[in-house]
Amino acid sequence: MTHKWKAPARISRRSVLAGASALAAGSGAFMGPWKHNRVWAQGAKKPIKLGLTCDASGQYGNSGQDDMLGIRLAIDEFNAKGGVIGRKVEWITADTETNPATATRVAERFIAQEQCSFLIGAIHSGVANAITQVANKYGTVYLNTNSSAPSEAGENCSRVKFVWDGNGTNFSKAAVQNAVEKIGKKWLLLTNDYVWGHTTSASTKSLVEKAGGQIIDNLLIPQNTRDFTSYLLKVQQSKPDVIATAVGGDDIKALRQQISDLKLEDKAAWINNQQDWPDIWGAPDTLFGVFGTTWYHHLPLPGVEDFVKRWQAAYPKSPIPVPGNVSYNGYMATRELLRAIERAGSTNNLAVIKQLEGHKMSAADRMQHFDAYIDPVTHQVQQTIYLARRNAKPKDKSDLYEILSWAKPDAVLDDAAPGKCKLKADAEVPSYET
Amino acid sequence: MLLNLLPHLVNGVTLGLLFALIALGFMLILGLMEQINLAHGSLFALGAYFAFAISAPRLPLPQDLLAAWAAVPIGWRFAAALVFAPVLVAPFGVVLERLMRRTYGRDPLYGLLLTFGIAMVLEELIRAIWGTRDYMLPMPREISGGFIMLDLIWSTYRFWAAGFAILAMAGVWVIVERTRFGAMVKAGAHDPEIVQAMGIDLARLRVWVFVLGTMLAAFAGVVMAPMWGIRPHMGVDAVVPAFLIIVLGGVGSFWGAALGGLLVGLVVGLSGAYASEWSMLSMYLLLIAVVTFRARGLFGKKSVLEA
Repeated sequence: MTHKWKAPARISRRSVLAGASALAAGSGAFMGPWKHNRVWAQGAKKPIKLGLTCDASGQYGNSGQDDMLGIRLAIDEFNAKGGVIGRKVEWITADTETNPATATRVAERFIAQEQCSFLIGAIHSGVANAITQVANKYGTVYLNTNSSAPSEAGENCSRVKFVWDGNGTNFSKAAVQNAVEKIGKKWLLLTNDYVWGHTTSASTKSLVEKAGGQIIDNLLIPQNTRDFTSYLLKVQQSKPDVIATAVGGDDIKALRQQISDLKLEDKAAWINNQQDWPDIWGAPDTLFGVFGTTWYHHLPLPGVEDFVKRWQAAYPKSPIPVPGNVSYNGYMATRELLRAIERAGSTNNLAVIKQLEGHKMSAADRMQHFDAYIDPVTHQVQQTIYLARRNAKPKDKSDLYEILSWAKPDAVLDDAAPGKCKLKADAEVPSYET
Repeated sequence: MLLNLLPHLVNGVTLGLLFALIALGFMLILGLMEQINLAHGSLFALGAYFAFAISAPRLPLPQDLLAAWAAVPIGWRFAAALVFAPVLVAPFGVVLERLMRRTYGRDPLYGLLLTFGIAMVLEELIRAIWGTRDYMLPMPREISGGFIMLDLIWSTYRFWAAGFAILAMAGVWVIVERTRFGAMVKAGAHDPEIVQAMGIDLARLRVWVFVLGTMLAAFAGVVMAPMWGIRPHMGVDAVVPAFLIIVLGGVGSFWGAALGGLLVGLVVGLSGAYASEWSMLSMYLLLIAVVTFRARGLFGKKSVLEA
């Protein structure tokens, strides 16, 4: 018996397309619905894995590492007590480089390859937003510890993201009304040219105008600017009553240094929306004006001294010898996440989200003046906002701030955020349990 | 109008001189050796850190000797930093040149990758020794603070720094254009075989060029530290404008680097005042505009890098 070789039928473009469509439809039916419902291997002994998305380089490299110290302290304290729901807590980290593109890659790797259950950490709003996009796709709960752009709990909010820092509007509200009334109506804005700077300055502008003041100029400062002379000349030519800065990281360090050198700090009133502790440590002589913060290591409140001692015992060789607001936010966010897992009795993302939404935290527990809560509409922690200035009579080398006032969370609430934030319903959030 | 513009023109010129200073060491190694030294920024940062160690002072000396040095007026300590920080960084240039020898005559990418790696090693070395925190260089009162000109407060040190930049540029010009050493190095870059045939030790000459380029990078780091602050990744802030200025001015051209620095300073200064959001981008737009019409930059000639 002979077998005749038969030429294969000609493969037409149409047949390839039809086949591909059928395959796609078939696999869609097999794999669907199109969301990432994941149940990874579980077990009583399997550690809970956290991905720490902290900058180690770039504009916020120092702050990112300070953030991580607070996060790690909370993890270590839970592990010392036996972990969470009977499981140890593990962490991995990678440098997000103060760069949204890098942050996207890191977040994708942490979730898809490293199987991290939760992501924690951010300083830069662009980085925080990039991580949020990835976390959204997988439904991964993400704690934005320190990025304070109003957009983070506004137009860029997410059901899976929780924002732990006070935002630009909170800080502006604490400072603006009083400054317009007591200092002057002519304001000039110095704005870092990225999301946090823009949204913070927009908020300041709106509050200044509402209080009867006027913005005479808004100078946009590109990120990584090192020479501010042209801006400072322009500031002098404009002769404002108040200069409100929304400049952060290495940029604010260089700006402060150059203002101090010129002794310009006395020529007008300076309001720095938020002063991060790592941005002033190392150059305390350049601290001037009034600035906002959420915490200070010399607050005369119960628990503060003990927390500082625990932090110092954990990091005896830290380049910054005391915790500041950045490390504090990292600690508080992580502690509350781990507590939420305990309350939920599970790592199921939706169960943990429910435990965090609307969660109330006492003033004593948070080492602040007033009770705080996680806003269920925006997922931002509403907390005490402090205004401070340089301490003329420091108790020790680290006593740089004099706390001037503290505002209740509801007095500095970002009223615009709920209108901009649209959180997804449970059914739209991919669920997982690890 | 002119009265408003004048301060920004003055600022642009001073800023341009500082940019030219930052680019000077880069220009020397690229122009005379045709090697792209991406470690330039890290050498710049090392200069700033050594200056801090000398003038703060944070030197690894016995306690009594350190106390005696700390008692010396800050003006002298700053002057010592200006002179000795570049000297302390110079050995890094010798090591850099030794490492780069294997890349001579090969695809320029090898040198580029090697110096990029060295830059990362040096930055980590800085973190290991001095940590990640920022430092401020202590400054003598006589040259810091402000003064009033055109009804505005100006930084006194900025003008001193511009003066240091002019001195450094004059020094480099004299060495390259008016000395036998400069003539030999230029000849060596043009035709190494003939120069070696004349009995000149080209290998040694190359080491000296690297040492000089390294010292200039470190000197720029010392001069810029009081304005920019000192932090491990400060080198990145220097290497990008340096590279841009060299391409703008024309690879290997001393006057190209000087003019390129001034143009970048003017553009950045003026855009900072009148279109602040463009101030960082303006230097890149200037570069695009120049290379569109003059592909080799303002004073550029054909380079082996083009082969």
